Amino acid sequence: MTLMDFHNLLPYILLSMGACLLLLVGAFMRRPSARALNILGAIIALAAGVSAIYIKPSQADIGNLLAYDAFGRFFTAAASFMACISLLFASGYSTRRPIGHEEFPSLALFAAFGMSLLASSTSLLGVFLGLESMSLSFYVMLAANKSDPLSGESGLKYLVIGAISTAFFAYGLALIYADSGTLSLADSISALSGGAGAAKITGVGLAGWAMLIVGLGFKTSLFPFHLWVPDVYQGGPAPAVGFLSTASKASVFAVFLKFTGAAGAPWAELSHVLWVMAALTMIFGNIAALTQNNIKRLLAYSSIAQMGYVLVALIAAPGSGQSAAIFYLVAYAAMELCAFGAISAFSGKDGELGDIRDLRGAGFKYPVRSAALSIALVSLAGLPPTAGFIGKFGIFYSAMNSGYVWLSITGILTAIVSVYYYLRVVVYLYMRGEGKTEKAAAFPAVDIPSGLALAALSVIVIYLGIFPERLLNLIASLTRLTV
Amino acid sequence: MNGALTFLIFLPALSAIPLLFEKNPKAVRWFTLFVTSCELAISLLIYRLCRQGIFTGRALLKTDYPWIARFGIHYALMMDGISLLLVTLTALLFALCTLVSWRQVSERVSLFHAMLLFLETGIMGVFLSADLFLFYLFWEVMLIPMFFLIGVFGHGRRVYSAVKFFVFTITGSLLMLLSIIGIYIIHGRQTGVYSFMLRDLAHTPASPAISAVLFLGFLLGFAVKVPLFPLHTWLPDAHTDAPTAGSVILAGLLLKTGAYGLLRVAFPLFPRAAAAFMPLIFTISVIGIFYAAWIAFAQKDMKRLIAYSSVSHLAYVVLGIAVWNEVSIAGSVLQMVNHGITTGALFIMVGMMDERMHTRDISAYGGLWSKAPAMSAFFLFFILSSLGLPGLNNFAGEFLILTGLFRAHPWLCAAGFVGMVATLIYLLSLAQKVLFGPSKEYHGFSDLSGRELAILIPLAVLVVFIGVYPAALLRILDTPVRDMVSAVSISSAGGVIP
Repeated sequence: MTLMDFHNLLPYILLSMGACLLLLVGAFMRRPSARALNILGAIIALAAGVSAIYIKPSQADIGNLLAYDAFGRFFTAAASFMACISLLFASGYSTRRPIGHEEFPSLALFAAFGMSLLASSTSLLGVFLGLESMSLSFYVMLAANKSDPLSGESGLKYLVIGAISTAFFAYGLALIYADSGTLSLADSISALSGGAGAAKITGVGLAGWAMLIVGLGFKTSLFPFHLWVPDVYQGGPAPAVGFLSTASKASVFAVFLKFTGAAGAPWAELSHVLWVMAALTMIFGNIAALTQNNIKRLLAYSSIAQMGYVLVALIAAPGSGQSAAIFYLVAYAAMELCAFGAISAFSGKDGELGDIRDLRGAGFKYPVRSAALSIALVSLAGLPPTAGFIGKFGIFYSAMNSGYVWLSITGILTAIVSVYYYLRVVVYLYMRGEGKTEKAAAFPAVDIPSGLALAALSVIVIYLGIFPERLLNLIASLTRLTV
Repeated sequence: MNGALTFLIFLPALSAIPLLFEKNPKAVRWFTLFVTSCELAISLLIYRLCRQGIFTGRALLKTDYPWIARFGIHYALMMDGISLLLVTLTALLFALCTLVSWRQVSERVSLFHAMLLFLETGIMGVFLSADLFLFYLFWEVMLIPMFFLIGVFGHGRRVYSAVKFFVFTITGSLLMLLSIIGIYIIHGRQTGVYSFMLRDLAHTPASPAISAVLFLGFLLGFAVKVPLFPLHTWLPDAHTDAPTAGSVILAGLLLKTGAYGLLRVAFPLFPRAAAAFMPLIFTISVIGIFYAAWIAFAQKDMKRLIAYSSVSHLAYVVLGIAVWNEVSIAGSVLQMVNHGITTGALFIMVGMMDERMHTRDISAYGGLWSKAPAMSAFFLFFILSSLGLPGLNNFAGEFLILTGLFRAHPWLCAAGFVGMVATLIYLLSLAQKVLFGPSKEYHGFSDLSGRELAILIPLAVLVVFIGVYPAALLRILDTPVRDMVSAVSISSAGGVIP
């Protein structure tokens, strides 16, 4: 490895070596402090994110596996920052709930490494490697709380579902390879679109692509592959679930975005199926969330619905949909992390925040967390002046611009439904006092890293809602470069 | 001068942020009063400085910066005579609301006042936006503070009412968002210019079917807010359960944003579709006038009664806008101001009674005049103003609306006059039941205090002033209304006269 390679690979090296370093530090520390290790992990992730932004790679790709393009770098930075924020939440959380010591931050960095691989890989094999290293880390992170059976259940469920989706994905890979004879993403996509110089796609190839989409659909919890979501979200430790819900889905969507980059007839064919999936995802997610009393289940169904909106943008991708999808993913990451950060800050020794009725009157007793949670929910509901509004506007604009009027109408109608359940949480926070029988739960004081992270995320959510221009321009420059 | 509008809009929101962290209730109240008075002073100053422009120019003040260039969104503000009047009304009512809540709100004072100020930013923004996207943004920004004002500081079934208010309005406005995106795309495709500026979008050529669908989206969004007849059911609940300041702002300003939207956005953007829908708008407005009057007559709660009277009054405003001629539009805008003053005053007075008696039930009152003459005199005065006594403000506005209506649709005008009689019945019966008759027991019921007089006297002076000399306001409206009518012509025959 030359110095040049080191320079180009720095973000990946930081993430993977940082993960190993954390394991070693944890092993050699006399009395390992989960708190300090998590913060160390956050710092490493931050460094990786910054290096992904500021170090300009000097060559196009390495070994036909990894591309050093702006698109990959963007998602690498995003995944690293999300890991950083999740670890900040985990640092306070780990003092109240037993989620192990060094393994949690180390696995979070490994997961972030897998995500960056996923987003910047140029071959299907690279995608597979990234997907697996990300998923394997999550199996353990979700089950990190060994004293909580729900956490174990969550990890196991994700493992079983993950195994199935891996099977689909791997078999899909094999079929595509058998059909096109190449594992290069660009080549196999152009085979899919029947492009120049590529053999016409056969039924075998098409079946392969369908299986690939099933595998990815599991990871991004699209209808009908969403069934694992509520239980996994409810049981897993809040920082891990927040990370799972944002970063893993964003990076899998990055792969989807690469497919859409090759705009062509096959995408139009596929879009019929995706159209139905998107509509059902939005309808199912939003309606199922209406009746949830557990806040993590509520957010689980809401996140299913949110992925439906991203899929709408993807369907409209040949137009302006790509930018809309990326913008929405960033906005969604900020608001969803903010919500899960608030939940993990609300979680004490006795258990995680569960029933939203425990939040009675919490708005005035715990102003920082409650304000952050409310801002996150308002943004998830898509109300201005938040990032969620600009994101939804972009999605509906690109959908209507590409002629998907009915899909937009479905989206708007389900968004109206969603307002109700997001508001319900706000109502409990600020408008329901303590009754005689219902006592408000007591929550621990907010720790400094979580408080800072929550404040930063709230500011980002509102800032992106008022000044989205710079991010929009950055994203537009990315999508010009893909594939 | 160009920063004035921006300052006017964002001063309240920016001052609300430090307010959230202030613990001392007294400081919070004085600071809010200071900010809201500044707003009033600025809007009066704008009037003073732009006097020449009022009578000659089209827009007094303009601001225009590209904001999200990728979508052609501008941060564009515009103030003409119509906006000036409504902005001044907004500033006035917010200053008064701070005074009204001086005693009423004793818990979570900083949150209450911060929400009040955020709300002021939203409403000011709606009245001043010249860009449809910006308009929509402010339109939605109004929702959350109001939701908190009702849900946290209200009484009775406050949470139910707050959620109902929110869900009704958001349903209308999200459908409106689809229409906004629709017209934006159509305009962009036809002309190659992707813009949300209202003046650009006004000349969008679209097929009748499409513009009818898009217009329907706007109509829904605005009709929920006004509210027009079948969509009004959130209003009585929200008004009744809101704190006094919330009711005043709801009736005095939030409803006006709906009517203002019809006037400024929906009709100018879709003149053809508006003409096609005109019979529908007429029908539901006239039904609204009578239905609301009928229901108001049966109310036992004073706030609910006044809330229904708003539905009836606002239906006149919509009639005036829908007829689309100079006289009726001027009357409608004048009537928006009048209704804000009069109904605001009535809600304030019911709040004062409620503070003393802890009930708004009409049957708990009776013979109030003998106990509290000053309060009763003011109450009767505002009731007379509300039912359109000649010489007081509402008469001027309603008269203009009906005059404008008579030219185009004499029968509608006749219906409107009959509706005024219905208004007479329920309002006079309210006055009779509360003020006269055998006196009920009033323990420790004091007459108006100095602070309360300071709130009511300016409103009463305005009622008389506008009633006697409406020309003072009509002069301001003259140019913008004439421009508006000449720019967009809506004929009920269904065609557009360029």
